[in-house]
Amino acid sequence: MAEIIDIRHIAKIYEMGDEDVHALEDVTLTIKQNEYIAVMGPSGSGKSTLMNMLGCLDTPTSGTYLFKGENVSEMSDDDLAEIRNREIGFVFQTFNLLPRATSLHNVELPLVYSGIRSKERIARAEEALRQVGLSDRMDHKPNELSGGQRQRVAIARALVTHPSIILADEPTGNLDTKTGQDIMALFMDLWHAGNTVILVTHEEEVAQHANRIVRLRDGRIESDTVNEFTNSVP
Amino acid sequence: MKITEIGESVRIALSALRINLLRSVLTTSGVVVGVVLVVVMGWTIKGLDSVWERTIGIIGRDMLYIDKWNWSGGHNWKKLESRKDITLKQALLLAERMESADLTVPLARKWGGTVNYGSKQVLCGVQGTTHEYGTTPAGAASEGRWFNSIEDARAADVVVIGYGIARTLFPDGGSIGKILKVHGFPFRIIGVVEKRGFLFMDFIDNQVFIPLSSFQKAYGFFDRSFSVAIKAGSEQLLNIVRDEAVGHMREIRNVPPGREDDFSVNEMEAFDQQVSTIRTVIWIVGIGLTVLAFIVGSIGIMNIMFVSVTERTREIGIRKAIGARKRSILLQFLVESSTLCVIGALIAMPISQVIVAAARSILIGPLEQDWVSVVSPFIQIDLLLIAVGVSIVVGLLAGLIPARRASALDPVDALRFE
Ligand SMILES: Nc1ncnc2c1ncn2[C@@H]1O[C@H](COP(=O)(O)OP(=O)(O)OP(=O)(O)O)[C@@H](O)[C@H]1O
Ligand SMILES: [Mg+2]
Repeated sequence: MAEIIDIRHIAKIYEMGDEDVHALEDVTLTIKQNEYIAVMGPSGSGKSTLMNMLGCLDTPTSGTYLFKGENVSEMSDDDLAEIRNREIGFVFQTFNLLPRATSLHNVELPLVYSGIRSKERIARAEEALRQVGLSDRMDHKPNELSGGQRQRVAIARALVTHPSIILADEPTGNLDTKTGQDIMALFMDLWHAGNTVILVTHEEEVAQHANRIVRLRDGRIESDTVNEFTNSVP
Repeated sequence: MKITEIGESVRIALSALRINLLRSVLTTSGVVVGVVLVVVMGWTIKGLDSVWERTIGIIGRDMLYIDKWNWSGGHNWKKLESRKDITLKQALLLAERMESADLTVPLARKWGGTVNYGSKQVLCGVQGTTHEYGTTPAGAASEGRWFNSIEDARAADVVVIGYGIARTLFPDGGSIGKILKVHGFPFRIIGVVEKRGFLFMDFIDNQVFIPLSSFQKAYGFFDRSFSVAIKAGSEQLLNIVRDEAVGHMREIRNVPPGREDDFSVNEMEAFDQQVSTIRTVIWIVGIGLTVLAFIVGSIGIMNIMFVSVTERTREIGIRKAIGARKRSILLQFLVESSTLCVIGALIAMPISQVIVAAARSILIGPLEQDWVSVVSPFIQIDLLLIAVGVSIVVGLLAGLIPARRASALDPVDALRFE
């Protein structure tokens, strides 16, 4: 399988007054196509920092990051924006939908920034919403949707550009158990459909669905194991 | 810049403005005032010009007035005062000698003469002149007639009154045949002159005209300077006629060669200058106020855009996370601030139209009934378009700093913003 992400000796240091916070230290990781990785670790261990880095939202303080062979650490803000737009689908714990836009428009939005014409945008956004089972909620605004439905809209938005990788930072963190399970099932479906998924979770049970588990502690990779059970599933 | 982003920017701008409708409308008030000022100012100047055109059209640009005094300001009053009076003899002599002009009419003026009708009294200019003056456009009667050569010669007690006097003394009309007392002497009204003055020219309408010979009876000829009205016949002839008049006048008044004239030649240009001074003053005041309004307006807009950027920090983070580039965010906020300004300009449009219509019917209508039709009841669309253009520029300038701040936000920080 082709390598999508290759990070080497990545560090991220935040300066907080006199003190430096080492959010990530010497992290080396490669991610191949159609992997399903669960990132785990205690609070403050650097999971979100790593996800932001992988999603090109943030740049490392040191180390190299190759995305499909291209050196991301040397890219301009606009190049990074373009990678985020084309290659990465982000799903956040807090959904991060535009509150005043309908589901359809929220899902359309990444395509607006890709320069795709309205007609095609709408067709693709409708398709993505169908994929997450929300064909009947296209004209609803976020505050007219349940938490689970909002997260589905966010997932549809992540899918609509056909990204190389889907990054989800605690996507079930704000949902009840049952709804969380539905969302996890959706990620499983996406993985089975050939997508590459990286997902942060606190729940061991959720992580067991993934084919690989990366554990962080104090900004370092504590373990990186292949999950025997799920590996055979796809 | 991707074309799809422009549509999105306009959409966002409109929805943002709709949500904060009241705030947005209030924010645009500076721009509204600015645009209203520009448009009303433009209308005022245009109205002034059309009225002036009409005034000058009636009097004629081919009129010259030889006078002891200079009509346009800026002259040494003392020096003019020291000039010898133009005597009736000199005026008559000039009239006799002039060849190139259509008409040469001697005039005598009494500023602030008293005129009574019944118990009403007005102070106004009393002009003694000849029957020929009645043949110039300046003497065209709207009612009745001018005095004739016989009345002239006989020093008849007849008077032709100006439009303004007629309105003051005879608000209901019916002035012809009434007896008016000029300087205490009874005169019969035989005509009313058409309205010709406007604004600072309205003294023209506040005059009465009597035959020169009658003027002598009433006021005497001593210690009085006469003037001579000359109608060149056409504007092209003005130079020739002026040269001839000046030549005769110097000879008549024995001005040695090399010395400057001891009289003035007044032309309509003197008034043109006054009109253009008024126009310039309106422009300066108007533009000054407009600039002030736009500055105040743009500060308001800049402020509200900063508020908008802060309020929507998270939204900016979301947009950046899904691939909006700096330029996209910049565009979004610039479109928003200039949309605000365009809305201001659109609000200003009906307001200025209402002001213009009201000014026309409330202020000018009663004052200048007969002439109100000269002044357009509508604002100028071309000026409005310019004002809209300026508003867009103001919006872009006012939005620039907030928009740059928005576009420079770090996506991770923006997403974390509460
Ligand atoms: N912008 C920042 N400035 C300073 N320190 C930061 C910043 N962002 C993160 N950190 C620090 O970096 C460390 C890692 O944070 P991170 O958000 O990656 O943790 P996490 O593993 O996602 O935790 P959680 O499970 O609570 O979400 C923490 O100690 C945090 O305080
Ligand atoms: Mg986190």
